[in-house]
Amino acid sequence: MLFLLVLYTRKTQRGSRVSKQEILGKKPLHILEKIRENLEKLNEKIEVMIELQKHGRKDFQPLPEAPLDVMTLLSMPDHLRKTAMTLCRLGRATAEEIAQQTRRARAVESAYLNQLVIMGHLKKERKGRKAYFYIERESQG
Amino acid sequence: MLLGKIVAVHSYKGGTGKTLISVNLAATLVKHGRKVCLLDLDFRAPSLSTVLNIEKVEYWLNDYLNGTCEIDKILIDLSDRIHNSGTFYVGLANPATEAIRDMTAKDRKWEMRALGRLLALRNSLLNDKGFDYVIFDTSPGLQYSSINAIVSADLVIVATTLDRSDVDGTKRMLRELYDLFEKKTDIILNKVLHDVSSKAGRGEVQTKIKDVYQAPLLGIIPCFCDVLRGEGGVIFSQERPEHPFAKILDEIANKIDNNMK
Repeated sequence: MLFLLVLYTRKTQRGSRVSKQEILGKKPLHILEKIRENLEKLNEKIEVMIELQKHGRKDFQPLPEAPLDVMTLLSMPDHLRKTAMTLCRLGRATAEEIAQQTRRARAVESAYLNQLVIMGHLKKERKGRKAYFYIERESQG
Repeated sequence: MLLGKIVAVHSYKGGTGKTLISVNLAATLVKHGRKVCLLDLDFRAPSLSTVLNIEKVEYWLNDYLNGTCEIDKILIDLSDRIHNSGTFYVGLANPATEAIRDMTAKDRKWEMRALGRLLALRNSLLNDKGFDYVIFDTSPGLQYSSINAIVSADLVIVATTLDRSDVDGTKRMLRELYDLFEKKTDIILNKVLHDVSSKAGRGEVQTKIKDVYQAPLLGIIPCFCDVLRGEGGVIFSQERPEHPFAKILDEIANKIDNNMK
């Protein structure tokens, strides 16, 4: 895991090109924000990898689309059902918004949402810094 | 302001009085001045068109769930059936054999989209049209359409009798269906043969039911021959307001109103 962290940090340092001026303290808040953002992305990727390991899969491809119908909801473990039901009600939401409803930690919801994406029940879309989760209903069949 | 609520009337077995309770509860709430929409989600045995004697129907709830029309086209205004009252709209399920066959052959993807359409009613009927109550009359047991209705509802009313297989099934559904979806669930005990005219008699049945189900009891309805004589077509709150059945429904409607505030 540490190896991954180092690799990822190097990658994001190269990718985001934080300027020297900023590092020198002119925009410390901005830098802290960037670090937080990158850590969040890293966290998300680790969560996905943990989930993939649990399922004994090595690739990042989600399972073939699996409709989130009520019978599927019924057969889910309780912790995932709570997250999935909340998203059913909200339609489209970030992990933060789901966490506000379920009163569980944002990181916990993020892990569950990513697991539901891997299982093929949800779709995920990034918009700027935010990741939105939703149920694809209309374009199917 | 009272925020609108969705109520699903469900049961384990058929013939427990779901439709009778749905129609009369809706009519009673209308009589109390509420704006109510009653939707027939029993696609396997649609009955509201017969019960309410509605002949010319252009669009059905089947069409709404199929995504071929919007909810406005479905709703039929029956406010004039209940005098000096609120607003009463209904949406019907298509009773044609072909339509029933079509609805039973839907796949999981369709059911998922249907759930989305039902969940959207919260916005279109409660928020936009300002209904106080949307009441779903459902199919008995664990059917897709019923579970979709339960998932979309704020309150599930379970109609049950003292029939042993019904009691067992209802107990299982409480633990393995409503609880899993974290739904607020109330019981209405129907067709009771015990003497519940006295307070002591009612208390005895109440204790028994609360012990068995571990869920709140919304009302006890004795077995009324008059209800059977009505052949399922009588709106008691309108046509026979002095009848004990109408009075029990009155109390149930008041309880729901108070609990939902």
